[in-house]
Amino acid sequence: MFLPILAMVIAVVSGFLGLIRQYQMLQQNSYFASRYFRWLKGNTPILPLALKGFVVILAFLAAMLGENTFKESITLFAAVALYFGWRAASQNGSSIKKLVYTARVKRMFAFSFVLTLMLGVLGLVIGGIIGTVLLTVLVVLSIFPEILCLLSLFALKPVEISYANYYINDAKKLLSSVYGIKVVGITGSFGKTSTKYILSRILSEKFNVLHTPESFNTPMGVVRTIRESLKADTEIFVCEMGAKNVGDIKEICDIVHPDFGLITSVGAQHLETFKTTDNVFKTKFELYDAVKAKGGVVFANGDNKIIVDNANDDVILYSSDAGTKFYAENITSGRNGANFDLVLNGEKVAVSTKLLGRHNILNIIGAAALAYELGVMPEDIAFAISRLTPTEHRLELKTSVKGSLLIDDAYNANPEGCLEAVNVLNSFDGMQKVIITPGLVELGDKEFECNKALGSAAAKVCDKIIFVGKKRSEPLVEGAKEAGFNTDNMYIASSFMEAMEIYTAFCNENTVVLLENDLPDNYLK
Amino acid sequence: MKTTVAFIFGCRSVEHEVSIISAVQAMRSVNKEKYDIVPIYVTKNGEMYTSEKMYEIESFRDMKALIADADPVTIIKTGKDVVLKFLNNKMFAKKKDIVLNVAFPVVHGTNCEDGTLQGYLEFLGLPYVGCDILSSAVGMDKAVFKYVMKAADLPVLDCICFYAREYAKNKEELISKAEKEIGYPMIVKPVNLGSSVGITKANDKNALVDAIDLAVSFSDKVLIEHAVSAIREINCSVVGDTDSCEASVLEEPFMNDEILSYEDKYMANSKSSGSKGMASLSRKIPADISEEKSAEIRELAKKVFKALGASGVVRIDFIVDTETDKVYVNEINTIPGSLSFYLWEATKLPYSELLDKLISLAFRRNRNRENLTFTIDTNILSGISFGAKGAKGSKM
Repeated sequence: MFLPILAMVIAVVSGFLGLIRQYQMLQQNSYFASRYFRWLKGNTPILPLALKGFVVILAFLAAMLGENTFKESITLFAAVALYFGWRAASQNGSSIKKLVYTARVKRMFAFSFVLTLMLGVLGLVIGGIIGTVLLTVLVVLSIFPEILCLLSLFALKPVEISYANYYINDAKKLLSSVYGIKVVGITGSFGKTSTKYILSRILSEKFNVLHTPESFNTPMGVVRTIRESLKADTEIFVCEMGAKNVGDIKEICDIVHPDFGLITSVGAQHLETFKTTDNVFKTKFELYDAVKAKGGVVFANGDNKIIVDNANDDVILYSSDAGTKFYAENITSGRNGANFDLVLNGEKVAVSTKLLGRHNILNIIGAAALAYELGVMPEDIAFAISRLTPTEHRLELKTSVKGSLLIDDAYNANPEGCLEAVNVLNSFDGMQKVIITPGLVELGDKEFECNKALGSAAAKVCDKIIFVGKKRSEPLVEGAKEAGFNTDNMYIASSFMEAMEIYTAFCNENTVVLLENDLPDNYLK
Repeated sequence: MKTTVAFIFGCRSVEHEVSIISAVQAMRSVNKEKYDIVPIYVTKNGEMYTSEKMYEIESFRDMKALIADADPVTIIKTGKDVVLKFLNNKMFAKKKDIVLNVAFPVVHGTNCEDGTLQGYLEFLGLPYVGCDILSSAVGMDKAVFKYVMKAADLPVLDCICFYAREYAKNKEELISKAEKEIGYPMIVKPVNLGSSVGITKANDKNALVDAIDLAVSFSDKVLIEHAVSAIREINCSVVGDTDSCEASVLEEPFMNDEILSYEDKYMANSKSSGSKGMASLSRKIPADISEEKSAEIRELAKKVFKALGASGVVRIDFIVDTETDKVYVNEINTIPGSLSFYLWEATKLPYSELLDKLISLAFRRNRNRENLTFTIDTNILSGISFGAKGAKGSKM
């Protein structure tokens, strides 16, 4: 009797360990079963899968041979499960983006734990054919925690929905109770997070501002921000709105009811789910519909062709060049940032900023336009701009190993942004230029082309190139070679750690390195 | 959810009663649609109480009854919030803590207006209306205030200044120094009191000795300056912060005794209609002076405000020597009686809007500070190891 109990405990524990990795990936895929499946398809190596399958078949055979045979061999199956569980758990441990133990994850763990424990205890207590069946199911679940993961996801759906609804209603109530509060919605395929920070800083010259932190741009992220940080004295809530599917922006708008909108761009982002840029446009302009329903004002990027071609006439455009009501002129830039004249509906004010890159200037103009609309004085806008610091990991200039310069652009993940970052790198005259990047992901059909373009752009600017991920970097390498890059100066690293080792070996204080788009583990290979 | 404003008034100060009047006026004028108000009355021995009845000035006539009925409270920080905590909680009649968003000190004089209360609020991390610790403290010490004005090239009357014990020891010496350097008539002031308490004019030595005796009974430090014989006192209020501020129309208070005494400021009409604070003082608004002079004084007022690093609403009192037409900065009230609302109403800014503006200025100062510090994220202790194993990587 001792062995089967031990085996049962091992199986439950193994299931638990295996789940850590599965929940990590489920979480990184925003708890969407379909996206999690896609990850599973792309990331389940054949050999261990075959081995696991073989063990499961063995377990079935043993079960069919009778209760006693099964009980005698169950320890072996549990040990196999433990081995894979342990391996999976350690994969989470060494990841860049680890599993976050949210209340939801804890609920799923609890469900899975109770389920497997019940299978084990009942299996042992009942015995006989039914007991053997229950124990076999336990063995299968502990060897394939993927199934357990999906089981807990679906079983807890109704619970999660009622939790979510309670939080959403609570957030709505809180928001509507604050006297005179104005909500600004920001969305866009790229630039929205930077613009959010810039706008919040400028608005803070005149108002008490709350903004969604980091990349909290999902409905539940917004709800959490409101419930945890909204104060009675908040005057403006700047709400970043992210979208991966049609209707996502509307869902957030239905919670916060924005009075003002800022649309930073419409582009080829998340095409795996959006399919077409037309769908991206429609989704981003759900913000427009919501703001207009409240009689508010929407600003949008006038440099973006898709926006200019499709937006309604009452959208106020801003741009990096003359032609709109809000734009910049006389732009000069260098190692310490950019200087330019900001034109706000005819009023001109000189500004300087530490932010690197033309797209940042465009974000500044968009934020300044909205702040101007909200009554912040041009001179206060200029002061706030001069005090801006780069967002973490977005073209952030730092000193790195051996006194070299690092342009940390690790959070950048869009094609235009990456090419702009390469341009920024190019502006560092007279220095040895290096790029470290694994390329871009989630771009659908265009992924190969975009990465090839990045590879060739980097080739034209860089003295040395370090690509990360052997398989991933194939299009990058092709692009670089096509642009005539000398392969002696090109390195392929299997991880960022290795890339930094390669870099450290040759860099000096006259080196500037662009770190472009670090990816969570589910993409690296 | 409205912004909750804690009006703090009273305190251990000779101007305790004046503060109550100023606070009640302010609480009654605040825009109730936008703000929730919490009155926090600080007794003369420093205890805090709150009560709904504190909106009515009549309640303060019977102080014992008011206190007996009011709830003893304190302000503490819990988690992210600064809250008003009730200290008399009974098991079944528990009063819920009130989250405070901003404090509005309406206090006059030492032990509160001089940076004391401001320091307490800074320590709690609660945004507050008005001058910060430094400007409050400097504004309260008439001597240090003069030094700061001198350093900023702003016109002040020369003065001598000494401590009570110095005077007890070297009485004759200090008096002859004053006679020589300042000359009669002189004004003697305790350095750290507002509302003219303890200030007297001396035309001869006997009067000077009496004046100093009175002054040292209020303060350890005494200031003596020359009394301008042909004098007009002109006051100007300034609202804003060091980034941008504006000056009100000017007032000229009427004087009973040669200088504006405490009685003039706060007691003038008290017998007939109840004390109404600064607002009831007999005065002329706007002051009857030339456009040019008025513009000069208003400009000067803004410079004083900036030189001190003030914030919120202040009243700056000037002396005009009518013989020479020269203007001197006399003193600043960092929390003026009645918050100078009567000067702002005369400048076409209604009291409720003035209060609204003052509260936004409090938040603005707070935001400016947050903007300064919120990018520093390094824990210097993380690189340090203590003890015998050696301080690897330590720079200390």
